[in-house]
This record gives sequence, C-alpha cells and structure tokens, in this order.
Amino acid sequence: MAATLDRLPSADIQIDVQRRGRNQIQMALTYILLTIASLLFAFPLFWTVSSSLQTWQELRSFTPHLLPVVPQWGNYAQVFESVPFARWLGNSFLITAITIPGTIITASLTAYSFARFNYIGKEFWFVLMLGTLMIPSQVTLIPQYVLFFNLKLINTYVPLTIGSWLGGGAFMIFLLRQFIMSIPKDLDEAALMDGANPVRILRSVLLPLMKPALTTVAILQFLNDWNEFFAPFIYLSRSHLFTAAVGLRFFQNIPLETTDPRDHLLMAAAAIMTIPVITLFAMAQRYFIQGVVLSGLKI
Amino acid sequence: MATLTSRLKVPGMSGGLLTTRQRRENFYGYLFLTPWLLGFFGLFIGPGLGSFYFSLTKYDVLSSPQWIGLDNYITMFTDDPLFWTSLGRTFYYAGLGVPLGVIGSMFLAILLNAKLRGLATYRTLFFMPSLVPIVASVVLWKWLLNDDFGIINQTLNDLGWSDPPGWFGDRRWAIPSLILMGLWQGLGGTRMIIFLAGLQGIPETLYEAASIDGANAYHKLLHVTLPLLTPTIFFNMVLGVIGGLQVFTAAFVATEGGPGFATTFYSLHLYRHAFDYWNMGYASALAWFFAIVIVSLTIWQLRLSRRWVFYYGG
Repeated sequence: MAATLDRLPSADIQIDVQRRGRNQIQMALTYILLTIASLLFAFPLFWTVSSSLQTWQELRSFTPHLLPVVPQWGNYAQVFESVPFARWLGNSFLITAITIPGTIITASLTAYSFARFNYIGKEFWFVLMLGTLMIPSQVTLIPQYVLFFNLKLINTYVPLTIGSWLGGGAFMIFLLRQFIMSIPKDLDEAALMDGANPVRILRSVLLPLMKPALTTVAILQFLNDWNEFFAPFIYLSRSHLFTAAVGLRFFQNIPLETTDPRDHLLMAAAAIMTIPVITLFAMAQRYFIQGVVLSGLKI
Repeated sequence: MATLTSRLKVPGMSGGLLTTRQRRENFYGYLFLTPWLLGFFGLFIGPGLGSFYFSLTKYDVLSSPQWIGLDNYITMFTDDPLFWTSLGRTFYYAGLGVPLGVIGSMFLAILLNAKLRGLATYRTLFFMPSLVPIVASVVLWKWLLNDDFGIINQTLNDLGWSDPPGWFGDRRWAIPSLILMGLWQGLGGTRMIIFLAGLQGIPETLYEAASIDGANAYHKLLHVTLPLLTPTIFFNMVLGVIGGLQVFTAAFVATEGGPGFATTFYSLHLYRHAFDYWNMGYASALAWFFAIVIVSLTIWQLRLSRRWVFYYGG
C-alpha cells in the first residue's frame, strides 16, 4: 500500500502511454495479419463461384477475369442436364435421413450407459471404445466388404448406414457422454424417487436437456455422410445410386457428348454440393463450435 | 489419453455379493450398451479378426481362401517395391503436412484470441474452407492449380516466374499440392477451434502476473501461452498423425496416385490390391501392418509426451 502511494503519478501515466502505444501497434499488426489470412482463405471460395458463372472460353483465356463478363447461370442448369446430379444429391440426403436418427438414438443409449451406470466391465468397454478411434478403417474394410458381398448388400445403402444404428461411432458417443455427465445427477434421482425407470429418465429427463448436444451430433453426422467418399465409392457401382461426392468425381472423369473443357461445370457442381453445408453452418453455427469444445478438450 | 483412464471411476465392487443396486446397474448398463456392443463385435472385432485370418491366405472373394502362412507378409517386405515407396510417400505427406497444419492452426487461433472487435467474422472466414466437401475441394484445387490456365500459375507468371510448378501434374509437386490443399481446408477448421478453446482455458491471472514481472507480448507467448497449450498441441498432433497417415480421398480423386506413383499413398496401394486386383489376402496383410504402425506411433507419441506436455494444475 505504502509503495503505491509513494510512486509518482506522472511516472504511472508515462508507462501507460508507452504501453498504449505498443498495444496499438500490436492491434494494427494483428488486424493486418488477420485480413491477409482471411483473404487467402476466402479467395478459393470466391473463385469457385466466379468460375462457375463464366464460359469455358473465358476461363481458358490468358487474361483471367476475376468476375464473369455476363454471369452464365445456365451453367448450373447444364450440370443437372449432363449428369443426374439432382438424383445424387437426393441420395446423399436420403442416407443422412437414415443415419441421423440412428446415431441420435443409439449413441444416446450408449452414452447414457457410460455416463450414468456403474457396472462391471464399464471401464474396459469404454477404453476399448476410445481405442477404436486409433485403428485405421482399412483393418475392418475387407471382411466388412466380404460380409456385405455375401449378404448381397452391395449396391444398397445398408453398408453405409448400419453403423449409425449400432452406436454411431466412438466420437459421437464420447461427445454425448461428456454432455450427460455435465447434467446434475440429482435430476435422475428425483425422477427415480417418483418411480420413473431408467428408460423413462432418459426419455423424459435427459433427452430434453440434451437438445444442444443432439443437434451437434446430427450436424456432425450430416457432414460425415455428405463428405464421405470411400465407402459409397466401393459399395455403390450403379450410377443411379451414387451419392453427390461419388457423382462429382464421376462427372470429373466421364466422357460426355461434347469434348469441350468442363471446368466451369465442375465448379458449378462443386458449388452445388457445398451449398447445403454452408447453409447448415449459417443456420446453426454455434453447434459446430460447441461440438468441438464439448468433445475435444477433456481427453 | 493417459489422464483419461485415471479419471474414470471404477465401478463399486465392494463386498463379495452383488447388492440389488449393483445388479440393477449391471442390467441397465449392459441393456443400453447392447447396440454398441453388437456393432463393436459385428463391425469391428469380427472383421478385424477376419482380416487377420485373410492376411494369412490367398483370397479373391469368389473362391474360398487358401492358407499360405506368412507369405503375404514376406512378399510385402521383400518383393513389393511399391510397399516401401507408398509407405515413404505417406510419411512424407504426414510428416510435412501434420506439423505445418498444427502450427498454422495454432498461429491463427492465437491471432483470433486477441481481444479485438470483429473477430467473429474472421473466425467464420477461416472456418468456411473446412466445410467444403473434400471431393469438391479437389475439383476446385485442380482448377486453381491448373498448369496453364489456373489462376495461381497465371499470377506467378505475371509476377515473373516464367516456369511455375506443374503442381498435381508434376512428380515433385504433387504431394506439396495436396498439402497446400489440406492446409487451406484444415487450418481454420476444428483444429483451430480446439486451439481457441485451449487458449480460453488459460487463466488470465497468469498473464497479469507475467505483466507485473515486466514480460512483453513475446515473453508471454513463449513462457505462458505455449507451455499451457502443449496438451492441445499434443492432442492435435496425435489426431493429425492418425488422420494424415490414412490419406486417401484427396489423392485418389486428384491424381489417382500419379503422376507416376508420386501420390500412391499406403491406403491407395492397399485399395488397388483389394479392389483392382482382388488380392484380398495381401491387402489384409497390408492393413494389419498399417494398423500396427499407427498404433505404435500413437503409443510412442504418448510416451514422448511426458517429456514435453505440461498439464497446468493437474
């Protein structure tokens, strides 16, 4: 106390001015770096949209146009005319419509088991479950393929969706378990006193409180399936069953009637495939962030 | 992960006989675990053991497997040059791409953690590329990096580089091209968000204490921020290595493993044997060796982490 009283006020002010000056330079530097970085990140997205609206002659000139001379909205229509892209988008949506409820139901059940019950072997199963995150999927790939081949399930969506109905994967379970553990156990016990059984407690007490976490899980599941290339690529060979991801690669490689370059159409198709994801992000941004924060940090 | 197991509660095993309560816990615990257990055995343990058996056979799916002992493994090490090439290419990709990705994400997160206005917009802009589906991203980057007409080479040309790289079409540049694309997609994605959460977990009092001791921004970064971020760096490195070594889709869609075998990563080599040549036995051996490599690397990283990861107050 005495020491602070002894200090001259003018010295304090001087230090303050110095510090403020330094802070302002730091702030300006941070903004400059952030702006350069964000331009670098945003440019390819801008370029996708711009290229998708140009003619191929414009794209293949040696003086690139940043913006189309006349926006060629017809490019988007041409994508749907060249390949059954609408059907492929529909197939991708159909798959997510099967997997999202599956993961929500079965990952919640598993997470509930890990978060709220003290049974023999729990720790063992839990560690094994986390261990599955470490094992490359190639190890199970071939026997799974043989299994589905022998069950005549190639060219169906069963191989692509069954996992979501059997727990939904370690990551989703872990995320929901963390969330359930953050809900006070008093609530369960109060319901138990009132005569509710565990199924009832999950349904009427926990699930309503878990809505934010369940939304996150639904979004992550959507993103996974929307992005997934390998599994639909090996399990689906008939083009009418393709997902958007497999279809886009197909469109990249197949010969069409015209041999004109199709970069502008590919850019349009890439944009079409990205629009649902960006829309979802715009609507539910906080859940994207929350998923990461919930799951990542406690390991 | 080491701390995780120690944080788990061990179920009550007190006394010799199970109490009614314990029986109830067992019953409901396993009841709710059932769907996952079915998946775990049916889609993971079963197929895992199955592929170990296949790895000791010659098998083409249509005829039944023929036992050949360790032949697949011997072939792998002694008679398959592409095995070594693809392993090397995979390590090159992950060895360069993962550290760059982790450091880059951390750097962006530190910039975003400054208490300034308008940061949410920047965060969104950084995050957007990670939303682009990987196949769409490949299509886009093949166009950006097009040898003659890509905007990047045209710009490099204008800047006076008359002979810019051939990117995806050039043996030497194909992997760097994939890494570049991966950085664009990955730097501002979930990894950056994990770093941001890690940064927000650092107690403000530590920075205040450092200021009183006369530390400037650089000192604070070096002596407060970085040490306290080591658990997050470690977490992202472990996940990054596991994911990076399994790279498939980007290389398969962009270059199908070419030019030459420049981007024939391990998982592409495995894919070819499984689904182009129907060497399911050999591909299974490749898969098992790969699993052993990844698990060993993860365990090695865990061991190593004791020397450099610092858990504050834990």
